[in-house]
Amino acid sequence: MTSHIAVGGLFKSYRRGKIEVPVLRGVDVEAARGELVAIIGASGSGKSTLLHILGLLDGPDAGEVRLGARRIDSLADRQRDALRNRTFGFIFQFYHLLPELSALENVMMPHLIRHGFFSYMKNRREIRRDAAEMLERVGLGHRMTHKPSELSGGEMQRAAIARALVGHPEVLLADEPTGNLDAATGQGVLDLLRDLNRERGLTMMLVTHDQQIANQADRVVRLAEGRIEEWAPALV
Amino acid sequence: MYKYLLCWRYLRTRYIALASVISVMLGVATMIVVNAVMAGFAEKMRDRLHGVLADVVVESYALEGFNNSEEVMARIEDLVGDQLIAMAPTMETPGILRFRIGSESITRPVQVIGVRPMERAKTGDFAEHLFDDKGNPIAPSFEVPEALRSQSPAGMRLKEIENEPDDAFTRAMAEQLKQQAQEQVPEHGALVGYAIATFHRGNGLPDQFLTPPGTKVHLVFPKHGKIPEPGYDEFTVIGYFKSGMSEYDSTHVYVPLEQLQRARLLVDEEGRGAVNQIQLKVKPGVDIDRMAETLQLDLEKLRPMYFRVATWEQMQGPLLAAVAIEQSILNILLFFIIAVAGFGILAIFSMIVVEKTRDIGIMKALGASTAGVRNIFLGYGLLLGAVGSGVGMVGGLLFVHYINEIEKALSVILRRKVFDDSIYYFDRIPTLVEPYTLVAIVVGALLIAVGASIWPARRAAKMHPVKALRFE
Repeated sequence: MTSHIAVGGLFKSYRRGKIEVPVLRGVDVEAARGELVAIIGASGSGKSTLLHILGLLDGPDAGEVRLGARRIDSLADRQRDALRNRTFGFIFQFYHLLPELSALENVMMPHLIRHGFFSYMKNRREIRRDAAEMLERVGLGHRMTHKPSELSGGEMQRAAIARALVGHPEVLLADEPTGNLDAATGQGVLDLLRDLNRERGLTMMLVTHDQQIANQADRVVRLAEGRIEEWAPALV
Repeated sequence: MYKYLLCWRYLRTRYIALASVISVMLGVATMIVVNAVMAGFAEKMRDRLHGVLADVVVESYALEGFNNSEEVMARIEDLVGDQLIAMAPTMETPGILRFRIGSESITRPVQVIGVRPMERAKTGDFAEHLFDDKGNPIAPSFEVPEALRSQSPAGMRLKEIENEPDDAFTRAMAEQLKQQAQEQVPEHGALVGYAIATFHRGNGLPDQFLTPPGTKVHLVFPKHGKIPEPGYDEFTVIGYFKSGMSEYDSTHVYVPLEQLQRARLLVDEEGRGAVNQIQLKVKPGVDIDRMAETLQLDLEKLRPMYFRVATWEQMQGPLLAAVAIEQSILNILLFFIIAVAGFGILAIFSMIVVEKTRDIGIMKALGASTAGVRNIFLGYGLLLGAVGSGVGMVGGLLFVHYINEIEKALSVILRRKVFDDSIYYFDRIPTLVEPYTLVAIVVGALLIAVGASIWPARRAAKMHPVKALRFE
């Protein structure tokens, strides 16, 4: 099986004052196309950092990130920006919607970033329709004009999922997507992700500290103190 | 596209930032108003200066002037006649004006100007500045109306004895009274500067005439000679010269040219009277500086080092330059107001960038480029500047348009006249909006607003996305 996205020999450390704190110490992870991989670990184990490096938000000190056969962590800024916009979708624990924009505008954001003024004006009907359809798909058809402050936590996360998927990415990176939600709402969000994963053949990397959630993945990777501890096949 | 959307949203939701552009707005409005009023004053002043002075003046350095004015004028006619509308020879000399009020004798230093009124009227706005004591315009002439003579004490008495029996005594009396009337109201008229002739009482009261029409005034001036001796002549006040330039209105006394020449002993054996100025009215569109130069060079050949040719602007150079300097200094000072506003924008923008740190992280995660994030804030700065200078421009122009109404309202509130029209002789505050100045002010304000947002925008753009996302 060839991997869709993979990291190899990843090292990363942060500076806290004068002390160098190693976060990742030689990590290898990969996911096949359409696979849902859960990365589980205690807080501070480096799982979020791993996800950021995977999504090109951060660069590794050593090691590499591959998308298919292509190394992507060493690309120029412009190409990395384009990859984040087109190939990756991000979901965060705290939703991270832009407070000034409505749900629909938040979902349109990846398209707004992708298109310049004239190209947007030319395609604005399709862009709006895409975003509206995506909101319908996550069950927020009735909340399009609401500002994030007028939405509940579950609704915000659904809007964030719609935003992550509207640009038709290949890889979805989710950082504790249910971490801030109650169990029932969290399960709803997870079910939605699982469905989308199947529906669209999306490759997913899901970071969590919750074994329950990890158990719903195709495969679980446990991260402890910056190293991969075990590879576990999914229980379901 | 997201840049425009976010700029627009930030503009509509961050009222604190709008507060920061109030100073831009006020600065722009102030600069527009001040420039409009100063330009208006300058324009009006130039108009008036130009009205009193002819376009080009040929003058001699000597007080006695030159007798060959015909020759000089013919030479000018030959040289630039096709560009001229009119020429007027003039004799200008310093002097003293004396008149009586009751038993008091009042003297004033004046500039005595001998002119041929019709000719002088053709070379400038001379006729437009002549008024009688009721403020009605009068014709440019030195004719003393018979009415003035009949109103003199002797004239009144003459009228009384008209009905008396026609005998030798009455005839002798009438003859005597006619002579007295002639003495009381001299033959030659004079047009006296309004500020010499009147006392300004202020407080909305009408000006009081010190020399009402028909008053006999004495003029003392230097006579021709190696050592100038005082010459002396009498004139009747027949009207007033009121140009609105206090410098002229408080010194100029116009008298008939030929009479002044005779009184100053400036008529030579051939009967030619001397003049020391020739005023030229030039056709519109002619380059008067070049004409002055041409004339200067040619008149040197006629009589070296004797003539001075100057345009009206050169003659009033220091005054016009002073206004220009005042305006530019004021502009520099006022521009500091907008510069201060720039620092306000800088401070508030830095705050907004901190507040928006996480949003910047999100946008970068969604693929926004460094340049894109920078442009959001630069665009936001430009938009704020545009709002500030746009509102300031509209406000400033409205203020300029309604400046006289505002002045009236302020005068009522403050219970004193804000703009005292008697000082400037303008009944309304003159304004002139120059499009070039307007554009320069608005563009300057925009540049300052954008300049002030460069640093915060660069800081926002350089932010590391992961750190920005983790920002609490």
